[in-house]
Amino acid sequence: MSTIEEIVQGKGKFVDDIVLPGMQHMSVIRSNYSRGKILGISGGYTFKDFPAYMSSVGEGASEGEKNMREPVLADKYVNYIGEPVAAVLGKNRYEAEDLSEKVEIEIEPLTPMMDPEKSIDAPPVYPYMKSNIYKKVTLGRDFRTDGFEVEIEGHFNNRRVATNPIEPRGIVAAYEDNQLTVWISTQSVHSIKEGLSEVLSMPEDNIRVIQADTGGAFGLKGGLYSEYALAAFLAKKTGKPVKWIESRREHLMASRPGRGTSAFVKLYANRSGRILGMKGKVIVDSGAYSGGSGEFAARFVGMQMTGPYKIENAYVEAYPVFTNKVVQGPYRGAGRPEAHFFIERMIDMLADKLKMDPVDVRLINTVNSEFKSPLGMDVPPAKEFLEEAISKLNYRKLYKEKPGFAFFVLVPAFQPGETARIKIENNEVKVWLGGNTHGQRHDIFVKTLVNEGLGINRDLVHLQLGDTSMLKSGIGSWGSRSAMVGGMAVHEACKKIKQAFIAKNGIYSADALLKEGADEFVHWRGEGTMNSLGCNLVTCEVNDRGQVKVKECAAYYDVGRALSPEVVRGQVSGGMAQGIGQTLYEEIMYSDDGQLLTASIADAGVPIASQLPEYKVLLSNTRSNLATGAKGVGESPTIGVPIALSRAIENVTGVKITETPIRQELLLRSMKH
Amino acid sequence: MSVNKIKVTVNNKVFEEEIDSRLLLVDFIRENLGLTGTHVGCDTTNCGACTVLLDGKPVKSCTVFALQANGKSITTIEGLSHGKEMHPIQKAFLDKNGLQCGYCTAGMIMIAHWLIRKNPEATRDEIREAISGNLCRCTGYDSIVDSIQEASQNMIPEEEEDITAGQRGR
Ligand code: FES
Ligand code: FES
Repeated sequence: MSTIEEIVQGKGKFVDDIVLPGMQHMSVIRSNYSRGKILGISGGYTFKDFPAYMSSVGEGASEGEKNMREPVLADKYVNYIGEPVAAVLGKNRYEAEDLSEKVEIEIEPLTPMMDPEKSIDAPPVYPYMKSNIYKKVTLGRDFRTDGFEVEIEGHFNNRRVATNPIEPRGIVAAYEDNQLTVWISTQSVHSIKEGLSEVLSMPEDNIRVIQADTGGAFGLKGGLYSEYALAAFLAKKTGKPVKWIESRREHLMASRPGRGTSAFVKLYANRSGRILGMKGKVIVDSGAYSGGSGEFAARFVGMQMTGPYKIENAYVEAYPVFTNKVVQGPYRGAGRPEAHFFIERMIDMLADKLKMDPVDVRLINTVNSEFKSPLGMDVPPAKEFLEEAISKLNYRKLYKEKPGFAFFVLVPAFQPGETARIKIENNEVKVWLGGNTHGQRHDIFVKTLVNEGLGINRDLVHLQLGDTSMLKSGIGSWGSRSAMVGGMAVHEACKKIKQAFIAKNGIYSADALLKEGADEFVHWRGEGTMNSLGCNLVTCEVNDRGQVKVKECAAYYDVGRALSPEVVRGQVSGGMAQGIGQTLYEEIMYSDDGQLLTASIADAGVPIASQLPEYKVLLSNTRSNLATGAKGVGESPTIGVPIALSRAIENVTGVKITETPIRQELLLRSMKH
Repeated sequence: MSVNKIKVTVNNKVFEEEIDSRLLLVDFIRENLGLTGTHVGCDTTNCGACTVLLDGKPVKSCTVFALQANGKSITTIEGLSHGKEMHPIQKAFLDKNGLQCGYCTAGMIMIAHWLIRKNPEATRDEIREAISGNLCRCTGYDSIVDSIQEASQNMIPEEEEDITAGQRGR
C-alpha cells in the first residue's frame, strides 16, 4: 500500500497507473436503450464468445432468481441503458474507442419499466417470472388497527444515487500458465476472486487478486461487475494483459447505484405521543437482474423500520422489484438511511399532528433497556443517550433556529467477523486485513492495535494492500465494520503471537520478537450484534430561489472507543457531505422512456465545497464490550443527516418533505406563497 | 492520425515528443511521461482530479490537447517536492488530514498552489470558492480547507515564484 506521504506526492499506485508489457485496453459497447430486443451485432466479442452469467458476491449478495441472472454480455435482450453488449481491445484507449465505433448493434426498442411502484402490480416483463417481484419479504406480525387514538400515514422515497468515488472502477487482468492475476480497485479481493472463479469456471487456486491503491468506493467496489469478468476472459483468450478503466459516463449508467427505495408507512399512537404500532410496505428499485443488493436490501430496510424506538407492534412487507435499470447495489449506508428516513419522517409528522416537539415524541418512545424489535433489530438502551444528545447538540437552545433532529440505530455488518494476518520478519511487521482499505486509513488503527498488543513501535507496522495470495480468506470492508471486526482480528492475532512467544521463551520482549519473527492468521468471528446509536442536528436557510444553505450540521455518535479520533472525524465529515448531497442534489434520473438524464458527475449532483458547511462532530466515547472497545461509524452520517436536514427545511419553508433529493422547484413553488 | 512535434517543459525538464494531435494533455503527462500523480476522475471537466499548472495557471488537463501546451511550461504534483523535502502544501495536507483515499489530492494541491500565490490571505469561503471546480468524495472538504489555510500561513511567497515559472532549475 502506498503510504499517505507517497500519495500526497503523487506517487500512489492506483489501478490506472499499472502498465504491463503488451497490455491492451478494453472498450465496452453498451445498450443505448433501457429495454429492447437485439436484432443483430456485428463486430467485437459478444455473448456467443463468452456465454457466461454473473455471480453475486460481496456486500448484500444474494442467490438470486436463476432465470434472472445477468449475462456478462447481453443475450437476445437488453434490459438497461448501459448494459454491456460487446467488447473490443485496442493497444491504447484511443484505439479501443475507435474500434468500438465500428461495432454495430441493432436493437428494437421495447417499452421499458421505469417506475418500481408501478412495476409491483404490472404484468411481468418476463413470461418466466410470476410477477415483477423478485422475492417478497415479510417481517413482524400483522395486527388489528382498530382502537388506536391516532393514525397517520406517509409515502416516502429515497431516489437512486450514484456512489461516485472520484476514482472510477478499474481492473488489469493478466493470464499466464493457467494462472489469472488481476489488479483491481476494490473493497474485497476475496469477493472478486470468488466471483471470477464462478463466472470463468476456474478453480479459485488459479486466481490471484491484488488490490491497487483504491480511490474511494462507498459500496461500489465490493462486488463483481461484468467488465471485470470480461477483462479476465479476454486476458485469458488473447494471452495478453487487458486493462479496463471506467469512464464517468459509464459509471453513471452501468455501475450499481444505491438507495432507490420507497415506502408506505402507517403509525398508530395514543394522544400523548406514545407509538403503539407501525406498518410498512417497502419497494426496492432492484433493477433488471436478480443478484444485486435489492433482495438483501428489502429485508434489511424492513428490519430497521422501527428505528431506535420501543414499538411493540410492527409489520412490514418488502418487495424488491424489477425495473429496466442497472441493478441496485450498496451505497454508503445501504438500507440504513432509507429505513430511518421512513420512520423518522413519520415521527416528525406525528409530532406535527399532536402539536408536540418532535424531540419529545422521540423521548417518549425510547427506553433505557435493550429492546428486540418485533422486526428483529437489537436496539441498545436509548433514552439516556438521546437525552445526552439533545443537550450536547444544544437542541433546546437552538430551537429558535428551527433545527431538524435525527435519531437512529447503526447496524454494522458485524458478522461473520473478519480475518487478519500478521507477519513479523526482518524487524518489521506486515499486516493484511480481509477487508480492504479504500481511503478510511485502516493503517492507523492497525498501527495502534499492534503497538498495544505487542509493544512494537508504530513506525515498524505496515498495512498491506489486499492480496489473495497473502491472506487465505477474507470478507470485505463495508457496513461500518472494519475498525470493529478487522480490529478484533488484529487484536487476536497479536494475542496469539504473544502467547506463543511466551510459551517458547518464558518472558515477552518486543525486540526479541522482531528478531525471531512470527506469522499468524486469524479469523475472528463476531457473535450477535454490535449496534450503536447516533443523533444529528441540522439548521438551514432557504433563499427566495429555493436554494438551501446548511448552517449548523452537527453529530453526536456513540462510536465506542475511537481508535483514531482524527480518522473518525474525517469519516463523519465525509459522510455528512454525502448525506447533504443525497438530500439536496444527488440523483440518477431517467426520462419516462428510459433515457439517462444524469450523464455527468455534475448532473448527478456530487456536492462541491461551496455548497457545504463546516461540521461539528461530537463523540460519546463509551467502549464497546470488544477488547478493542470499538463500534461502527462510517455510515452514521448518511443515516442521520438526510433526516435532520429534511426536517430543518420543512421547519423553515413549511413544505412537506417526503423524498430525497428535495428538488429546488418544490421549495421554489412554496416560497411564492 | 496526424503526428506533431511538441516541446514542453514539465517540472523544469524539457521534453520533445512526437504525438498524435488528438492526444489529451492528461494522457501525455500520464502515459508518455509516466507522471501518474495526475489523475482522471471524470474526463468531462467536472472533477478537477487532472488539474495541473500551465504557465502557472490551473487547467483541467483532461480537456486540453497536449498540442496546446507546446512551448509552455507545466507543473504537476511530482514537481512540487524538492527532493525528499515535501512542499508546504503537501505537508499541510498530511497535517490536517486533507486526504483520505488521496485520489483528488493532486488536483486539490495544484489548485491550492495557484490560489495561495494569488491570494495568500484567502478566507475559508474564498478557499471553498476556489476549489469548487475540484470534487472530493471522501473528506466533505472541511479538512481540505483547513489544509490550504495552514499551507498559506507556512508558504514564503517569493520562493514559490520559481516553481510555477518553471524555467529555472534549482
Ligand atoms: S478528469 Fe479532468 S476534470 Fe475530471
Ligand atoms: S480524498 Fe478521496 S476523493 Fe478526495
